[in-house]
Amino acid sequence: MPADTTATAAGVIHDLGYRRYDGPRLGRAQIVRALAWHSFRSAFGFGRGAKAKVIPVIAFVAMLLPAVVNAASMAQGNGQVIGYDTYQPLLRDLVMTIFVAVQAPELVSRDLRSRVLPLYFARPMKTSDYPLAKYIAFTAACLVMIEIPLLLLYLGTIVNVHGGAAVWAQTREFIPGLLVGLMWAVVLAAIGLFLASLTGRRAFATGMVAIFFLATYTLAEILLQVENHGLRQQAAQAAQSAGPGPFHIVPPPVPMAEKISGLFSPFTLFDGVRMWLSGHGTGQSDNVLYPGSFGAVYAVVLVVLLAACLAGLFARYRKAARLS
Amino acid sequence: MTPPQPDGEAGPVIETVALSMVYPGDVTALDGLTVRFAPGVTGLIGANGAGKSTLIKILLGLLEPTRGAATVLGLDCVKDGMRIRQLVGYMPEHDCLPPDVAASEFVTHMGRMSGLPAAPARERAAEALRHVGLYEERYRLIGTYSTGMKQRVKLAQALVGDPRVLLLDEPTNGLDPAGRNAMLELIEKIGEEFGISMVVASHLLGEIERICDHLVAIEAGRLLRADTMSSFTKASQTLVVEVEDGLAKLERELARRGLRPRAYQRSLLVPIGGDDTYDAVRDSVADLGLPLSRLERRRHQVEELFRDDSADLTLEAADAG
Repeated sequence: MPADTTATAAGVIHDLGYRRYDGPRLGRAQIVRALAWHSFRSAFGFGRGAKAKVIPVIAFVAMLLPAVVNAASMAQGNGQVIGYDTYQPLLRDLVMTIFVAVQAPELVSRDLRSRVLPLYFARPMKTSDYPLAKYIAFTAACLVMIEIPLLLLYLGTIVNVHGGAAVWAQTREFIPGLLVGLMWAVVLAAIGLFLASLTGRRAFATGMVAIFFLATYTLAEILLQVENHGLRQQAAQAAQSAGPGPFHIVPPPVPMAEKISGLFSPFTLFDGVRMWLSGHGTGQSDNVLYPGSFGAVYAVVLVVLLAACLAGLFARYRKAARLS
Repeated sequence: MTPPQPDGEAGPVIETVALSMVYPGDVTALDGLTVRFAPGVTGLIGANGAGKSTLIKILLGLLEPTRGAATVLGLDCVKDGMRIRQLVGYMPEHDCLPPDVAASEFVTHMGRMSGLPAAPARERAAEALRHVGLYEERYRLIGTYSTGMKQRVKLAQALVGDPRVLLLDEPTNGLDPAGRNAMLELIEKIGEEFGISMVVASHLLGEIERICDHLVAIEAGRLLRADTMSSFTKASQTLVVEVEDGLAKLERELARRGLRPRAYQRSLLVPIGGDDTYDAVRDSVADLGLPLSRLERRRHQVEELFRDDSADLTLEAADAG
């Protein structure tokens, strides 16, 4: 450190008990890393009281259960019951909704509430480094929530299969599953942090995130039914106006309506993109049906959603730096 | 030992040149402010809304000024904001502490954010909390602290990164008189004993007087006056006379002797014409048999900064020409 402490000044300071720091200083990247690590820990309640660990621990254990059940089942000679691509869809949707809704505010709303942000902004980093560190941390936390259970599923499966070929086959299914998990984590973290950063009140933030996921999911489901209902009515009307003639050709747009409905919720988007990329559906465990080439639209909407949330998150803190 | 920087000792800690800040909506916070802050403790004084906080934000490189330039330790506030923030500690005016974290943990984290590695951050956090008098209580949650203790934590987090300059925004905010005194003593100690230059923003003139070496007064974003504390409070050509009783009688007597006394609060102010002024006052008091309680040359009060009629206070405003 360049310091203007002359020999005498340093001596005086030493006598009075104040010691200057002339050791190494971390650069901006390392400060961001320290903040990300601190935030990652707080996503699981570490560095907080015992109460803060309750929800993340329960959520994590719940996510592990299917993998444990699968391993136990396979040990008794049954086949694999859980897939790497969708894991246990309903459980994963629900648990990740809860985890993001409860823990995203832990990362960002607390700091807004206690108005600690000006202290961060007054430190040797850029304004955008704060949301960046939070985003890295929360993406990593979501990855832990999603990928560790997948890893356990993989390990529990390969100890029960025999032969290198079987293990290789498992590995080939496992890797796309990891990538799907990455997609989930990257998008969920962005949505959760952006929404949570809008308010310093934790309960509001949690409610907002939870309502966003539940409402969009419900909307997607309702639209699906309304579309189907409307189309059925159209078909019935068409049939009526044509009279009891011979067989009428009813156009089959139902799948398209269903595809469009799937655009309204992150979880249906995840499924749509996953199936589009893999080139096949996986049956009844999906939220939406195989979208075919329409899957590209799913991908575009998902990327736009991600970009919008990240842009919103960073804009939020640019504004905070000016006003705080 | 690193050699002192060429202009480290004598040069200004902070310098602004024609600094203007106009917020969207045509709100002018700073209006052509040109001022230098010398090493030591400088009071930045002004009413609420005078532009103190805006100036601090510009100095930290968090706001880009509309016009003009500012430097801290010779570093440009617009270009070298990051470097400045490495050398400057900032204590905001408002609450900025999480209630559910222990003070030691919070200050350690803030030390990390100042660029200290993990172990030094812990050490320096403990030390900073000791310096502000919170060593014993450092493991308590901040939410359980009194207002005075919270202010000390705010100061400790500004101190933890070993800054060369401290910017303190209204450090006595919300404190009772005792807490106020304690905080001011602490600031004085840090300035004198730790050798850290400080800018103490305040709207309370009386406080600034006690702890500052220099004073910068701003009003409506413009420089009102900037000088050393001693020149503000230097002895004036006025005598202060206080008697326990019979002030009006004394005033008449002094006027009769050709002096021009002026009642001020519970004393008389008498312009000094020469040594015979003292004699005249002494004789008047003695003749009337009044109980004299005070007779001294008056020192200027900082309050007079804002009074237009303080004729012999025309001090030179710092002009960066």
